[in-house]
Amino acid sequence: MSVDTVIEVKNLSFRYAGERKQALKDLSFTVGRGEFLCIIGPNGAGKSSLCNALVGLIPSYFSGAKKGGVSVLGQDTEGTSVANLASKIGLVFQNPFNQISYTTSTVEEELAYGLCNIGAPRDEMRRRVKEIAETIRVGGLLRKNPLELSGGQIQRVAIGSTLIMRPSILVLDECTTQLDPLGSEEVFDIVKRLNKDGITVVMVDHDMERVARCADRVLVMNDGQLLAIDTPRAIFNGIFQSHGVDMPEYARFGAAMSGAGMYGGPALLTEREAINAGKAAIAV
Amino acid sequence: MRIEIRDLRHTYPTGEEALKGVSFTIEGVTPVAVVGQNGSGKTTLVKHFNRILSPTSGAVLIDGVETTKQSTAKWSKRVGYVFQNPDDQLFLNSVRKEFEFGPERVGVPAADIQKRLPEIAELCGLGDKLDSHTFDLTATQKKFCAIGSVMMMDPDVIIFDEPTCGQDVEGSRRLSEIIGHLEKRGKLCVTISHDMKFVAANFPRVVALCHGRVLIDGDSREVFAKPELLKKSFVSPPPISRVSLGMGFEKPAFSVDELVETMKARRRKMA
Repeated sequence: MSVDTVIEVKNLSFRYAGERKQALKDLSFTVGRGEFLCIIGPNGAGKSSLCNALVGLIPSYFSGAKKGGVSVLGQDTEGTSVANLASKIGLVFQNPFNQISYTTSTVEEELAYGLCNIGAPRDEMRRRVKEIAETIRVGGLLRKNPLELSGGQIQRVAIGSTLIMRPSILVLDECTTQLDPLGSEEVFDIVKRLNKDGITVVMVDHDMERVARCADRVLVMNDGQLLAIDTPRAIFNGIFQSHGVDMPEYARFGAAMSGAGMYGGPALLTEREAINAGKAAIAV
Repeated sequence: MRIEIRDLRHTYPTGEEALKGVSFTIEGVTPVAVVGQNGSGKTTLVKHFNRILSPTSGAVLIDGVETTKQSTAKWSKRVGYVFQNPDDQLFLNSVRKEFEFGPERVGVPAADIQKRLPEIAELCGLGDKLDSHTFDLTATQKKFCAIGSVMMMDPDVIIFDEPTCGQDVEGSRRLSEIIGHLEKRGKLCVTISHDMKFVAANFPRVVALCHGRVLIDGDSREVFAKPELLKKSFVSPPPISRVSLGMGFEKPAFSVDELVETMKARRRKMA
């Protein structure tokens, strides 16, 4: 493992106990420090299973038949407790209501929950809650009951309750799917900023335009297999359309223009690129 | 089918004024999309269509009858509402029972129920899941189970609240098929959605709400031609529409192929 590799997945296969189908089939890849990696693929492709494996919930919480392994910051996830891994790699679930503890009556307590469980000193808890509340922009909501918050707010609290353990890697499983566009942007802005500050991000996302715009690399999955892992420009050149994977509209536009002999450049990834290429094509 | 909304206002017991005077009429069975940011009043509005909510003032008339004239249970035969979260709706231990429950309650003969069931199960992609427990369904399948159980009531109007949430390409395709099927059978479909690609592809009419009022109501091409106005309600036209507008075309394109065809025509004209 090189110095800059933070996750190494090697020949990972997994079948949930009681299931006949392999959820993950012989996956191998690495994630570099500070990278923004997006995982895409149709429902049922194995994206959530992969997230569970990255943070050690597979195999410590979900039992089944596992082959190969995952190492996070040089440590094999099998045999390491999830509590121990939580300070290295944190998972944010798709639905924040599956994440919050339901045992606290304020956002402040909810954020402190993980630290309580490891017996952190009180003044340290206070300091870190304050710091995290600023990061996730819920400073004004600390006294509120978590169940009173809007969708975007509670998802931010869920992220905060993961971040408070100071993981250097954050795994997010479709954390904006249930939100309206504004709430989704609020959450995504925070993820982007965390990544800029050096946190490695692995994110499952269905918003292909956003993936094209923001990912350093894209990992394509279908039927438990890793089909490809590469830069957005290499991934969105048309090859994977047939695998139930949506393409960003800009990339499809570029491909259609190529087909009509109006464009010959690389895959288009942003609105600006698409407009410029389109304008050039009709200026001839 | 005619739904008339007359100066509808709704204030929740908390004092929150969710609708501040909404008026428009839906006539016929052309699918209508209701869009706008959270808190703009979309769900409050459509919950008036079968009297889940009653107006604080103003009125909603279904084919000329004020919704307050009869109970929600009565209206549900004509106006079906599919909740955003299927877990708020599903409660029985198999897909088949969910499908049979509604029509049984309103007295549809058993033979008719059994006739509807396979067709709707097929449309919803649950043909081989009828005897599965609803807990064992995937999130997508649950959503289609909720949709199918309302379609089983065979209402004249069907309301979807955020049907694409969490759907992949295949789920969205199936939803388009269901919306087309409903229109062909003379049913009106009114859908709340945040997914503008889905709206552009399926709904000829768009009503955008903002802070409890109608921001803009019209043909979807005209609505999506006004990105600046839509911004007020945090609605952004689909990516390909924005590209076509950004290129200087007056009308927003709704698909990649359409935009490329328009470009070809422009090039021919110039040559």
